[in-house]
Amino acid sequence: MRELFVCLVCVASLAAADNTFLLRGATIHPVSGPEIRDGMLLVKDGVIAEVGTKVAVPRGVRVIEARGLHVYPGLIDSGTQLGLAEISSVRETVDTTEIGDFNPQLRAIIAVHPASEHIPVTRANGITTAVTLPSGGIISGQGALIHLDGWTWEQMQVQAPVCMVLQFPVIQTRQERPGARGPRPFSEAKRDYERRLQQLREFFEQARRYQKAKLAGSPEFRTDARMEAMLPVLEGKLPVLVHAVRERAIREAIAFAESQKIRLVLAEAREAWKVADLLKQKNIPVILGPTLELPLEEDDPYDKAYTLPAELHRAGVKFAFASFSTSFARNLPYQAAMAVAFGLPYEEALKALTLYPAQIWGVSDKLGSIEKGKWADLIVTDGDPLETRTQIKRVFIQGREVDLSNKHLRLYEIYSRRP
Amino acid sequence: MRRYALCLLASWALAAPPIVIRNANVLTVTKGRYQGSILVRDGKIVEAGPKVTIPPDAQVIEAGGQYVMPGIVDPHSHIATESVNEGSVSVSSMVSVEDVLDPEDIAIYRALAGGVTTIAVMHGSANAVGGQCTVIKLRWGRDARGLLFEGAPPILKFAMGENPKRRGSLPSLLPGVTVQPRYPATRMGVEDVMRQAFLEARAYREEWRRYEEKRQRGEPAIPPRRDLRLEPLVEVLEGRRLAHVHCYRADEILAVLRLSQEFNFRIPALIHVLEGYKVAREIAAAGAGASTFTDWWAYKVEAYDAIPYNAALMVRKGVLVSLNSDSAELMRHMNQEAAKTIKYGGLSEDEALALITINPARQLGVDKRVGSIEPGKDADLVFFDRHPLSNYAKVLRVMIEGQIYFDRDRDMSRRAELEARKKALLERAREREKKQAPARRRPA
Amino acid sequence: MRRISRWAIMWIAAVLCVRAAPPSVFAIRGARVVTVSGPVIEKGTVVIRDGLIADVGASVPIPADAWVIEAEGLTVYPGLIDALSSLGMPEAAAQTAGTVRATSRSQQPAPAPAPTPPQTPEAKPAQGPEDRPSNTSWLRAADLITPGDSRLETARSAGFTAAVTFPQRGIFAGQGAVIALGGERAGEMVIAAPAGLYLTLTTAGFTSFPGSLMGVLAYIRQVYLDAEHYRLAKELYARHPASVPRPAYDRALEGVLEAPRVLLPASRAVEIDRMLRFAAELKLNAVLYGGHEAHRVAALLKKSGVPVLVSLRWPERSRDADPEQVESLRVLEFREMAPSTPAALAKEGVRFAFYADGLWSQRELVRAVRRALEAGLSQADAVRAFTLSAAEIYGVADRLGSIEKGKIANLIVTDGELFQEKTRVKYVFVDGRKYEPLPEAPPEEGGRAEPSEEVVQ
Repeated sequence: MRELFVCLVCVASLAAADNTFLLRGATIHPVSGPEIRDGMLLVKDGVIAEVGTKVAVPRGVRVIEARGLHVYPGLIDSGTQLGLAEISSVRETVDTTEIGDFNPQLRAIIAVHPASEHIPVTRANGITTAVTLPSGGIISGQGALIHLDGWTWEQMQVQAPVCMVLQFPVIQTRQERPGARGPRPFSEAKRDYERRLQQLREFFEQARRYQKAKLAGSPEFRTDARMEAMLPVLEGKLPVLVHAVRERAIREAIAFAESQKIRLVLAEAREAWKVADLLKQKNIPVILGPTLELPLEEDDPYDKAYTLPAELHRAGVKFAFASFSTSFARNLPYQAAMAVAFGLPYEEALKALTLYPAQIWGVSDKLGSIEKGKWADLIVTDGDPLETRTQIKRVFIQGREVDLSNKHLRLYEIYSRRP
Repeated sequence: MRRYALCLLASWALAAPPIVIRNANVLTVTKGRYQGSILVRDGKIVEAGPKVTIPPDAQVIEAGGQYVMPGIVDPHSHIATESVNEGSVSVSSMVSVEDVLDPEDIAIYRALAGGVTTIAVMHGSANAVGGQCTVIKLRWGRDARGLLFEGAPPILKFAMGENPKRRGSLPSLLPGVTVQPRYPATRMGVEDVMRQAFLEARAYREEWRRYEEKRQRGEPAIPPRRDLRLEPLVEVLEGRRLAHVHCYRADEILAVLRLSQEFNFRIPALIHVLEGYKVAREIAAAGAGASTFTDWWAYKVEAYDAIPYNAALMVRKGVLVSLNSDSAELMRHMNQEAAKTIKYGGLSEDEALALITINPARQLGVDKRVGSIEPGKDADLVFFDRHPLSNYAKVLRVMIEGQIYFDRDRDMSRRAELEARKKALLERAREREKKQAPARRRPA
Repeated sequence: MRRISRWAIMWIAAVLCVRAAPPSVFAIRGARVVTVSGPVIEKGTVVIRDGLIADVGASVPIPADAWVIEAEGLTVYPGLIDALSSLGMPEAAAQTAGTVRATSRSQQPAPAPAPTPPQTPEAKPAQGPEDRPSNTSWLRAADLITPGDSRLETARSAGFTAAVTFPQRGIFAGQGAVIALGGERAGEMVIAAPAGLYLTLTTAGFTSFPGSLMGVLAYIRQVYLDAEHYRLAKELYARHPASVPRPAYDRALEGVLEAPRVLLPASRAVEIDRMLRFAAELKLNAVLYGGHEAHRVAALLKKSGVPVLVSLRWPERSRDADPEQVESLRVLEFREMAPSTPAALAKEGVRFAFYADGLWSQRELVRAVRRALEAGLSQADAVRAFTLSAAEIYGVADRLGSIEKGKIANLIVTDGELFQEKTRVKYVFVDGRKYEPLPEAPPEEGGRAEPSEEVVQ
């Protein structure tokens, strides 16, 4: 069985470094502006040089004809475990969750497995960039923003760290302990929660004292990897991605972030609709969990998860979509489509897959739309990428055309030929 | 929500007038697509075509260009039941999901709101020979018996691969709890358990035969002990109960096909069957059906070679294929799942829709009643605002046997009322707690 | 030899003790007599002799040897019957007396300790019905009574004079007995036995059969088939000992066969519907217990003719629940409506009786009954549900349940209408013996008063 994992075929697909070309004839959807029919898109050294109906074409440039097709920015999945987990039920292939409650020093980027089969499978559906996240404990570690292509994780890295991951302590009465029936007593759960919250506060306090000691240059100062990792958080340079699903946790996470003066990005905030005004007021962005999800409560309307993005949009909250998955990451655009069916304007859905995550993660100078000066992360499709039936024809990451073959396609081809 | 359904029920009891659905984009699945009407009488489709007779007393539903397709059939789910697995033993065929149906499971209503009208409520896959399963219609608001799909053949669940052998190799599921290993621990053992069970069932049938002989000869005899574990297996051997087999890998799929040939029973549905594409030829040759996920993969080793082309590939090789949800969430958008078989493998629209309607109906042995829009069939219909193979399509109304069980407008307009009722109840409960609180306090 | 003689002496001593017991003739004079079986006698007399009701009426002669209780302004009721309890059962007495651990989801008490597995850890997990897991149908409450159970006195002080008590562990827990809540020795407490077989739907966990609700039902079904088969086999063997094989003795099936009735747990409407069908399929002489959502299926119950024992431990939110967690409408309705069940059953004409479900103190009992009264149950129906109806359900209405000549002298004398907060029980008669109730204890905190937390999903 073990051999199966060892012989993961390495399929990173850095094609010929031909990252200069003109793409012509397609309808271009810049996302940041109106669509351009029969447009031209010039890419130079992996960067978008010109985009419009008429652009000056350098002599001898490679031309890619795309008549009848559509060009969109590459899609961004703002929460995955891509590269960190291969087969979720096989511990040996999963590197998401470390032992211990406080591990800010852990870096997801260095454990990204470039040969993971999930990477080519995901990008074949137009997802070119993903945030990959550690999990577990209270502070899980540092998330990384990666391109879904590269021979090494260094080549894949877009920004790492991109966030510190914090699982906000909750009063967990619903959870079933192993073998237990029914909910946990509230008093017990609350004690547990208060203990964890206290630990979290103390950890931040410890980090702050470390920061002061370091600034003071005291002779007893010793470098501590965990504390070092907290410095960008305390300085407000690195946002903290806080998993907080229900209203109480969301409110407490907001209060905590304010008291600690840290930059907050909420994750999987399924009851964000209950605090939408506050989120708007505090300008806190939300990474939405899957739209294709059951309502949290029995009495919630059947379409509660479907309408959440539209409700946040109406309240003016900024959000991005995420799959919080590996094997389902490729379906990210369909999560957005369901939100459109239930009231989210189409343009907003598209932005929440491209421009908004780029803004939230601080990389909108490079990613998220088709604009001059940005990286040529592009997908060429035969239609709306949010529709399942649409085929992704070509994918470019920083102007390099990416191989769309993957494990699934290969097996399909092999077994289609089986006599 | 429940009261809402009860109201519907009350109106259902009255002799309903015929219904004409007009101006619909009708996706019949078996007879192509047309723009026109459907006439429903006594819960059955009477006419379907561009023009139908409109009886004078008919209730007319103006579809205004909405898409109408047959109610979605999900051949594998675990909703509406209070138990899923009898995981203690490797042969648990004595248990029946029908005994523990839960007609108040909110998942029923949610699935309805996704256009599902018929489902098989399945036993889990914890053991080689699982429990008895039941086909129901999602008649939300009826009692357990009212859900049953009358006349649907019963099902016995079998399971191969990782799940049934897990208890054989895992020393402990929970920390601090020692679990006795349970045979089998290998795929070899799983097949052996199945074979032993069938051999026992044969012997049991033989025992009854001998008793009958004895009785006819007038010798003193009492009937053999009835064995509820073996009876369903006898029914499978005699073709009176359908065998649905949970399986993943090509080797185990082949193994169970050969076992079915050895004991001469059919397998209308290999369930999940994620590597079915590797042995599609053998599946087709054995006359077995296949019910799969579209794109679930890599959640365990036996799902690592799963590909989203599986359904299409098996269809092309002549297998009767359906899609199943196995999930209260996924079952709410099976239409989108069907669309994936167009993307991955290039099925036609009708082929894709067949995977969630007529094909599963065939696998469940209920295709004479449901699965397509044809005269004579049950009026189980779903109204979408767009083509159901679009990700933007929303279910607006769902009808089972001519009766509306889900109506999005009504659902939306009832929300405030339910909220108010809940608020009032909470208030009353709070008052009660307050009233009781002083009495509880110990005297100082 | 010496030991035998010692036993004999003790026995004789015991008999003498009984003989030398306090007076056996009483006359309660001038009281309001609520007979239950007949009209209320506004001013009447009840005569008790040798443990039985010797006479009752507006003007009955008072025997010369009677101890007369002047009861002007007082009311006499038949003694209350706790229609399903563990009173006097040693294991229950040792444990916290509490909710009956009953059915699937609706009655799992939240923080209660996990049910003791029927097997010891070393024992092999049950492999199927043949291993007869959790089956102690041969256990007889009548054999197990512990007269020293301190709860007996608590219950008696609240007005209980009889209880139908059961072993309650396992699936086929054992045979109940109708017992008097008074008396010196276990044997004399037994009024009727066996009273019925107490079933629960307790699962044994994932590793031992049955590990699921459907497994439990399949198991029960198989056991009844096996019992029938066993009966046939024994009969056939008795007729043809020379030619048919001798069936192996099976104590688990013996118990099943001798039970005059079977108690099945069912609280939610879905469960009641399920158990009614199950009982009909197995042709059981069934009595349902729990019954909190019976108000929704009263008509169904009426049609089935199956009586219901309604637990007075109304479902409430656990006091240690998350205050911010809002339960579902379904759960809220379940709690709100449960106390309307008795009224609904009375209206529909379903036979039902109450059981205290551990609420044996006067205060708790009154509070619980009052909720049913507030939800529309008449005072008379409430009294009946605690007396004659319980006796009828268990087939002992010829002995218990009302104030009639010839019935067992189980009576209570109160200073007001029963189930009023201010009303106190002045005297309790059990088998004609007079008991003074204990003074009311201060309200209890903790485990016992904790309402059962239901989880309806």
